[in-house]
Amino acid sequence: KLHQFLPGQATVPKQVLQVWGAKIEEQSKGRIKIQHYPSMQLGGKPPELIDQVIDGVVDIIWTVNGYTPGRFPRTEVFELPFIQKDAQETTQALWTMFEKDMKDNEFKDMHVLGVWVHGPGLLHSDKPVKTVEDMKGLKVRGGSRAINMMLKQFGATAVGMPVPAVSEALSKGVINATTIPWEVAAAVKVPELVSNHTEFTGNALYTVTFVMAMNKEKYASLPDDLKKIIDDNSGLEFSVNAAKIMQDFDAPVRAKAVEQGNNIIVLNADESAVWAAAAAPVYDTWAKEMDDKGFDGKALIAEAKALLLKSSKMSN
Amino acid sequence: MNSKIKVAVEWLARTLALLGGFVLISMIIITCVSIFGRTLINIGLGPIPGDFELIEALAAFVVFAFLPWCQITRGHAAVDIFTAFLPDNFNRWIDLIAEILMGLAIFIIAWKLWDGTISKTKYGETTFILQFPIWWAYALSLSVALLGCLVAFYMIILRIIEVIYGKTEINSNSGAVH
Amino acid sequence: MSSLEIGIWSFPILMVLIFIRIPIGLSMLITGFVGSFLIGDNWLPILAKFKNETYSTFSSYSLTIIPLFLLMGQFARLGGMSQALFKAAETWMGHKKGGVAMAAIGACAGFGAICGSSLATAATMGQVALPELKRYGYSGKLATGTLAAGGTLGILIPPSFVLVIFAILTEQNIAKLFIAALVPGLLAAVGYIIAISIYVRIYPESAGSRERAPYSERFKALLEVWPVLAIFLIVVGGIYMGIFTPTEGAAVGAAGTGILALLNGGLTKETLMDSILETAASTGMIFFIVFGASIYNGFLALSQVPQEVAEWVVMLGLNPWMILTIILIIYMVLGCVMDSLSMILLTIPIFFPIVSVLDFGLSPDEFAIWFGVLVLIVVEVGLITPPVGMNLFVINSMAKETKLSDTFRGVIPFITSDLIRTIILVIFPSITLFLMRWLY
Ligand code: NA
Ligand code: NA
Repeated sequence: KLHQFLPGQATVPKQVLQVWGAKIEEQSKGRIKIQHYPSMQLGGKPPELIDQVIDGVVDIIWTVNGYTPGRFPRTEVFELPFIQKDAQETTQALWTMFEKDMKDNEFKDMHVLGVWVHGPGLLHSDKPVKTVEDMKGLKVRGGSRAINMMLKQFGATAVGMPVPAVSEALSKGVINATTIPWEVAAAVKVPELVSNHTEFTGNALYTVTFVMAMNKEKYASLPDDLKKIIDDNSGLEFSVNAAKIMQDFDAPVRAKAVEQGNNIIVLNADESAVWAAAAAPVYDTWAKEMDDKGFDGKALIAEAKALLLKSSKMSN
Repeated sequence: MNSKIKVAVEWLARTLALLGGFVLISMIIITCVSIFGRTLINIGLGPIPGDFELIEALAAFVVFAFLPWCQITRGHAAVDIFTAFLPDNFNRWIDLIAEILMGLAIFIIAWKLWDGTISKTKYGETTFILQFPIWWAYALSLSVALLGCLVAFYMIILRIIEVIYGKTEINSNSGAVH
Repeated sequence: MSSLEIGIWSFPILMVLIFIRIPIGLSMLITGFVGSFLIGDNWLPILAKFKNETYSTFSSYSLTIIPLFLLMGQFARLGGMSQALFKAAETWMGHKKGGVAMAAIGACAGFGAICGSSLATAATMGQVALPELKRYGYSGKLATGTLAAGGTLGILIPPSFVLVIFAILTEQNIAKLFIAALVPGLLAAVGYIIAISIYVRIYPESAGSRERAPYSERFKALLEVWPVLAIFLIVVGGIYMGIFTPTEGAAVGAAGTGILALLNGGLTKETLMDSILETAASTGMIFFIVFGASIYNGFLALSQVPQEVAEWVVMLGLNPWMILTIILIIYMVLGCVMDSLSMILLTIPIFFPIVSVLDFGLSPDEFAIWFGVLVLIVVEVGLITPPVGMNLFVINSMAKETKLSDTFRGVIPFITSDLIRTIILVIFPSITLFLMRWLY
């Protein structure tokens, strides 16, 4: 039983989860059957997916770590504004930190199959947004705690809601803008609802971390040969590939928005730097909060940056 | 049944419902103030931060506070057309069974809400905007859910007495509005 | 037993529980709970589900609209809006043959514009209009039938609870559904008025007459209605224009009617407490059903019954119109014994996947909205069909000297009007959709 929050036709469910399920079924010669329940069909709201997999309500879930703020504090370091350049590189770094620090802490109650991030996040808005000042007074949906901190820093009003609620909120003017990557934007019809999109040069505005996890007892109950099949299809390589698929599917959605005549504002390196500078205080606030929670915030940021640098060198 | 207990339980259910009502009214005020602030954003006002999540947390409390009153006034919708011609005694047995099942459901709900509260405390989950711990909201609901168990228990005893003495103390309230 | 078989068996078992008078929400809860256990052969998953499911259902932002609209209806009654509406309608149409009954329908439609519930509308308008109808010599049959039917306008004319629940279950836009329901709701009122005029022509003795009111009195009465109009425009207009969410609209409406009731003295400490207790009982009932339905529907999804049945229906290759007709008839039959909200919660998760794969030449969103309005109508017919029609009971209990069998007979012309309207709306989807297409 694989449970998640997006419709079955969206990129990750279709290109990642279903492909994964089919592979597992094939390699196990049908001994493992993966039944996919999209759009929260088995009940509950997206933030409950984590508890559902820990408690064994379902066997496998895919969700956004940020839907349960405070629960996976360390993943947030990769969600800080303007830290990510490329989804695959970030995923590489995230996985390294996950293996080293988080696997036996935040994620100890589940068997993690993959953690990854989406492609460069951007801003979609009803009115054109070019400068940080344009953000003042806007009601913006942010996907995670870190993004909300950044939005506040920019003088916008952050509104928290899971992705499936975005289309209704946008169409009614409950929010003026949303942060979302292109690929997910298509699934919730964002380019049809608003016509302005603000992109950045260099590092992306933000990203969000995902986790795909299996119930621990369920995994333990499998015979060794089946465990091996699951293992072979999860982990770093699987995660990086998932990130790649998400990032690759950004382009066609963007192209469609262009074709529709939407206004895509691409901020150049200098303009992007102004935004990054305006967002910089978030790093300190976040670090301080982490200190209060018993982590070393500054060290985490430094470590994340070092890991990102390393993976960026590796891919070049 | 001891009328003192009866009065006390009815008072409890009623007070909880009224408490829920006043929280509901405060939700209305929060929402209106928030809309007001947001329309006057140009003169420096703004919506109440995190109004959505405040409303959600309070809404759960309100519903839990309303449930005992619904139960004690027999407000839960049921189809009585096929049982209406059955003897009263038989119907009292149905009432008792329904009440026991209802009590069981309410007990499980409260017990699991307790587990939920513990788990939210353990994982330190917070809300999106205000970032208050979610377990606060859970605990608020839990407190009224536990009182709801008391009312449910009382209702079971009441039904047992009805079956023993063969007379119905509370009649079905079909005036529920929906 | 396979999951699928368990899923299929759950349905008759659920029906038996409901019919032996186990509360509907509890019946769904028990069936879903035991069924989920049988499928997984393990109590732990379904028990674990309860950890978050109650809190998350009860804290749902969109469902908060329900206690808010309930309270708003209570305040509207206390604020004297029901009297003002009836007075205005009566001075304008009361002198015609059957005019006072027609006025009651008009007033129900007006009250429906600020109240989301059928029973509340029936009960409130019954209080105001029944004595007047009696005074002008209308038969108990016609009077009670009129008000029972008029009460359904409370839900047919937006705002409406049933549409809120439908929108949540099918992930549709609540504002669009409200807009789409407006014209069919007005058609219902017109249909009822026509039904009255035909009825009094056949049975002239069932309606008395009333003297014609002078125009000065008419305009004065009309002026008194402005708060109702203002609140309707603010709530539904505000929701449609995106000034606020439906939940916020309900909060604004409750605040507005509350203030009006306070100003004209209807809202006192006692009446406020009564309103809260009424709201509490109804809210408790609705949310318990919603929760039971969410457990039962989670179990159904697990058993894969809806998907399998949908595939099977497609395989049979039946005519889509025939399937739609069958489903609407099932609703009417169920409606003879069940109440509207439980029916929607129970059946939409089963029927919607089936019908949404059929081709009626509409886009998926348009189809969902059209289907939602159709279901709304047939479900509301259930409220006035004997033997179990909640509106009939409520109105009849208020008219002491009228026999229940008379009320049953008095409502027949209105049921006929409902059937004709349903057929028209099925044949011409654009009657439902044109306003929404034009506005969005
Ligand atoms: Na209405
Ligand atoms: Na009926």
